[in-house]
Amino acid sequence: MVLVLALGDLHIPHRAADLPAKFKSMLVPGKIQHIICTGNLCIKEVRDYLRTLCPDLHVTQGEYDEDTRYPETKTLTIGQFKLGICHGHQVMPWGDLDSLAMLQRQLDVDILVTGHTHQFTAYKHEGGVVINPGSATGAHSSVTYDVNPSFVLMDIDGLRVVVYVYELIDGEVKVDKIDFKKSTAPPSH
Amino acid sequence: MVKKRVPDWLNNSLWYSRPPPDDERILRYASRYSDPEPTAEPPTPAAPSGDPPRPEIVDSARDRDGDGNGVLESPSAEEISRQSQLLAELSSKVVNMRELRRLASQGIPDGSRIRPVVWKLLLGYLPPDRAIWPSELAKKRSQYKNFKSEFLMNPSEITRRLEKSANGDNDEIKRQNSGLLRRSGITHGDHPLNLVASSIWHQFFQDAVIIEQIDRDVHRTHPDINFFSGDSQYAKSNQEALRSILIVFAKLNPGIRYVQGMNEVLAPLFYVFRNDPDLDNAAAAEADTYFCFSELLSEFRDNFCQQLDNSVVGIRSTLARLSELLKQHDEELWRHLEVTTKVNPQFYAFRWITLMLTQDFDFGDIIHIWDTLLSDPEGPQETLLRVCCAMLILVRRRLLAGDFTSNLKLLQHYPSTNINHLMYVASKLCSKHSG
Repeated sequence: MVLVLALGDLHIPHRAADLPAKFKSMLVPGKIQHIICTGNLCIKEVRDYLRTLCPDLHVTQGEYDEDTRYPETKTLTIGQFKLGICHGHQVMPWGDLDSLAMLQRQLDVDILVTGHTHQFTAYKHEGGVVINPGSATGAHSSVTYDVNPSFVLMDIDGLRVVVYVYELIDGEVKVDKIDFKKSTAPPSH
Repeated sequence: MVKKRVPDWLNNSLWYSRPPPDDERILRYASRYSDPEPTAEPPTPAAPSGDPPRPEIVDSARDRDGDGNGVLESPSAEEISRQSQLLAELSSKVVNMRELRRLASQGIPDGSRIRPVVWKLLLGYLPPDRAIWPSELAKKRSQYKNFKSEFLMNPSEITRRLEKSANGDNDEIKRQNSGLLRRSGITHGDHPLNLVASSIWHQFFQDAVIIEQIDRDVHRTHPDINFFSGDSQYAKSNQEALRSILIVFAKLNPGIRYVQGMNEVLAPLFYVFRNDPDLDNAAAAEADTYFCFSELLSEFRDNFCQQLDNSVVGIRSTLARLSELLKQHDEELWRHLEVTTKVNPQFYAFRWITLMLTQDFDFGDIIHIWDTLLSDPEGPQETLLRVCCAMLILVRRRLLAGDFTSNLKLLQHYPSTNINHLMYVASKLCSKHSG
């Protein structure tokens, strides 16, 4: 039972001052084993804050990040799942399922976490899942101001992953979940 | 019936066959990996992993001629008669508890291999009526199994089970091949970051702290004994069992939860039950140990509760009673200890009492002492106090000659002694008291 937090596109301090208070009160150290951040933090202080929540932090390069040394993509294995991270601005068209699926095949991962669109989505594609945790601060994206703060917590337990989606809608935290089970047979390429 | 009496001149450190245990004990708790103790009596080597090793504890009580060469002498006539009396008691349809307690208080002979059954009777786990033993055992063991499945499940599994019972076993996950994944509502409004007290996730994280402590202590239990520690499959399964028992106990007793030291009290119980010659019983040792441990701790539970420290039932008053007992039987020693050298019983007896002497004697000796402790009809505490008093009296010469530092050092690292003699002195205190 491994808890993995996925978030991104905070755009602190340029577009948002901080995470919403209700999110911050829920995110306490000691519960989460890994943090995946798609990028656009943007400053070092945010990275330090995330590191206090959990020492195992993975960040990829977003186009507004002040620190330019993050990798463009990253893969890691947690339990039975291979996860891939990428900010998503590199994949054109932004947020397109087929293009992201290409990236997923390229990285050879079961779960691909990307951001940039600031909208939560979760696609299932040929035995893999593409998750966009949205923007944790509700910062405006390149195309719209209509953004709800959201992030994702994945509970990886054997071959199953339960994705808990936390959204701040009208000042209230709404939680939904999505079940995903990895097929035991390896996909044929 | 004449018990072997050790003359006074023998009660002198010059004659002890093994080196003082001070360094070993410090080493034991300084590092997990300690070298085998350089004792004169080598413990019998453990069989290769897989088979449960033969009980490797060699204790000084059986070493009657005191030469410390580790050879177990054949039981004396008196032991044989006690053994046959015990066997007779156990084979009657309804066990006479008074008689059993009387016999057990003199010690249960090791060779008889009836110790597990006797302990279960003494602790009230098995009722005196032998006819209902199978049903009682079956009931209790299944109860423990339920406890385990309830308490040892992590929240992911619990959520899954709740879902299954709510939605039936339809695997909606299989239906979609591509496209947007459907969002569904969360089960019972619970999610991992929930801060509400009734959330299973929240409780899980709170318990995680206690479970971590239990894990640490279980790994530190008796690192020198292969039964408990080491890399063998057997040791690992034993540690697992200890861990489960302690977790279930902590969950079922939110009043005291887990306190460091409970693992030490649990260890001899589990060891005895696991080495039961009856294989069915040995396999179910974990469940049996849990209930007996519960029973045993219920007597001592007040000692572990911090709020009760200063009350009439708390540890302070127990220590005061020990003082009183010592004053009654050996006023000179009492005066020297408490008044002259100011060695307060809190400094040494706290551990003796709360851990039931498990830290101050060798494992084999502990089992013998516990025979007597558990057979007390008034509960182990009374006998325990008498044994502590006897421990003090046995080293009185050294105590009377020492100052605060040396006395404290002596009492905190109590020298190994002949257990039979110790128990004899303790029993004499009893008769003196009532007389």
